[in-house]
Amino acid sequence: MRKVLALLAVLAAVAAVVASAQAGTKTTTISLAGWSAGADEDTLLQQIVNKFEATHPSIKVDYSVINGDYTSAMTARFAAHNPPDVFYVDSSLASTWATQGVLQPLNSYIKSSHYNTSKFFPSLLNTFKVGSTVYGFPKDWSPLAMEINTGMLGEVHAKAPKTWAELRSVAQKMVAQNVVSGGKPICLSADWARMLAFVYQDGGSISNLQSPAVSNAVNFYVGLIKDGLAQTPDNLDSDWCGTALGKQKAAIIFEGNWLLPFMSSTYPKTQYGVFPMIKNKTGGNLAFTVSYSMAKDSKNKPAAWTLLSWLTGQQGQKLWVSKGLALPSRSDVKAIGGRANFLNAAKYAHGWGFKNFSTAYTIMNNDLTAVIKGGKTVAQMLSDAQSAVHGS
Amino acid sequence: MAATATTGGVTRSARGTLFGARIREAGWGYAFVAVPMAVFGVFFVYPLGYAIYISLYNWGIFGPPAGSKAGFGNYHQVLSDPIFHTAIKNILEYTVGVVPLEMALGLSLALIVNAKIRARTFFRAAFYFPSIASSVAITTIAIYMLSSDGLFNRVVGGHRPWFSTPSTAIWSIVGLNAWTTAGTVMIFYLAALQSIPTDVYEAAAVDGTSGFRTFWKITFPLLRPAHFFVIVLFGTGALKLFDQAFIVSGGSGGPAYATYTPVLYVYRTGLGGNGQFGLAAAAGTIFFVAIFILTLGTRFTVGRGQSL
Repeated sequence: MRKVLALLAVLAAVAAVVASAQAGTKTTTISLAGWSAGADEDTLLQQIVNKFEATHPSIKVDYSVINGDYTSAMTARFAAHNPPDVFYVDSSLASTWATQGVLQPLNSYIKSSHYNTSKFFPSLLNTFKVGSTVYGFPKDWSPLAMEINTGMLGEVHAKAPKTWAELRSVAQKMVAQNVVSGGKPICLSADWARMLAFVYQDGGSISNLQSPAVSNAVNFYVGLIKDGLAQTPDNLDSDWCGTALGKQKAAIIFEGNWLLPFMSSTYPKTQYGVFPMIKNKTGGNLAFTVSYSMAKDSKNKPAAWTLLSWLTGQQGQKLWVSKGLALPSRSDVKAIGGRANFLNAAKYAHGWGFKNFSTAYTIMNNDLTAVIKGGKTVAQMLSDAQSAVHGS
Repeated sequence: MAATATTGGVTRSARGTLFGARIREAGWGYAFVAVPMAVFGVFFVYPLGYAIYISLYNWGIFGPPAGSKAGFGNYHQVLSDPIFHTAIKNILEYTVGVVPLEMALGLSLALIVNAKIRARTFFRAAFYFPSIASSVAITTIAIYMLSSDGLFNRVVGGHRPWFSTPSTAIWSIVGLNAWTTAGTVMIFYLAALQSIPTDVYEAAAVDGTSGFRTFWKITFPLLRPAHFFVIVLFGTGALKLFDQAFIVSGGSGGPAYATYTPVLYVYRTGLGGNGQFGLAAAAGTIFFVAIFILTLGTRFTVGRGQSL
């Protein structure tokens, strides 16, 4: 009987300890969402989330990937007042979503937690600001570079081009010697997300799409296709120029850091090099960047801020760029080796995005396809683009 | 003893009982349809009414701006948008192309499987299979097959990317959808063929009518109810084209607006990042009215004397 009573007393004591321990550690669950850029990225982010949870035991992160049309899925969730607490925001949509009031301004959190924003590259951070209000921190970025099949370049005994004229010259040599069998020397997307870099290289800008500089850049870009020196991916049996490079249907493409893991996993045998983006009157490039932002409708803002600031802080970002899948958006985080030609483009890079992006981008790309296929003139396209972006 | 009067041999109390029986019978009927009608109301009538309501406002992600008034500005904006005009042109081209092709293919298949052929049951299932396969999966496979280096070009020659060429993009979707829906059309025509009395064919045989003439002068006209049904059902479905246009163009409606459809216009306007729900609702309402008018027109032309 005494033994039974002693056992019961021990069990009661243990239960009391467990109960008090549970009462002391109340966890908050927050949601984190983004699109998938590949299995490697999804796995890496989950590992980083696990690391965060290990160092912040009171916060549990429910990470999910939104497949399919991310913009539409998020728009529907905003309208339902049920967005994730922390989520990706592409630079192209940052000002639209900030203006529509779906993003939480972060200035008060920055001030109260003394968060140091000075380490972010200013051009990238400014993409997520409206006036002086910060709506997100860039988690990474990439400009465009020029990637060239080194074997094909060697066959024409040429160096990597540095200017528009040299690009054209190298492509002409490749055509003359039929170096790119069944393809074209250059793969160019019918996409302003590539052509706009050429506009900046000619001294043009998004602010006036009907200037001579813009017209000249578009004529050069489209002219490469019309002169048989370049082709769009669909005519190279490819869904994008990265596939065209991998399949050796193109020798020269213009893509960002995202090309490297793709080539490594999908076309490991294709020999290529990463070279600086070409120039014309000046250097010109685009900065593709994505932020972590907080939802205005988040019900767990303090915990969401803790996660957001950690992910974009030095420690979180160091983990994120450690596998070379992305470039750091902070000056106190180093990229892995072999990324110099991307990083050096920072001084010429303009943030990707503009007014009325969703509507304007569709019009601009459809018009560009029409120009390339012959259904519209460059002047007509630029007039449509100017109206779509600026409403004039 | 209750007072009763008699009229026409039926007492008032008996008439009352009869009326009560009818009420009870009707009541059971209404009770059985109450649930589906409630579902219809919640998922069709209410959203339709709400869409018309928000179409009168500059309705964004979180509703209209404070103090905004109802008006027809959204309707004016949609009706004067050249992209909407292009979308209407595209969908009319698509519908005029796909519906006759579906009818021709479906009727041909129905005639084949209605005949006394070996393995008829197998062929009926085989011809119907594309209709039940996932349209997303079929479209994705078609993108590869119709790419510049795809199987189709290897057979017919050439190097054209069919879905990426403005002049062939929508017609490629016509071909794809005519193939996938022919099986369903076949089912409707098969049922209609089997309802034609055999004595008309016997009479035609006695007269020595040829096979084609029998089909053209007897079978085809007698299938009029089926023609009307297929035109309305599949024509309405064609006008609402979305998934193939979205998949082949990546949601952009390209190349060069060639696959931009009215439903894609509504989708992009509402969910394309700007969240212009009011504008999207106006476009949807305009399209709803247009389809309704077209359906009525079909009813009073091809469907003269028919009922669905």
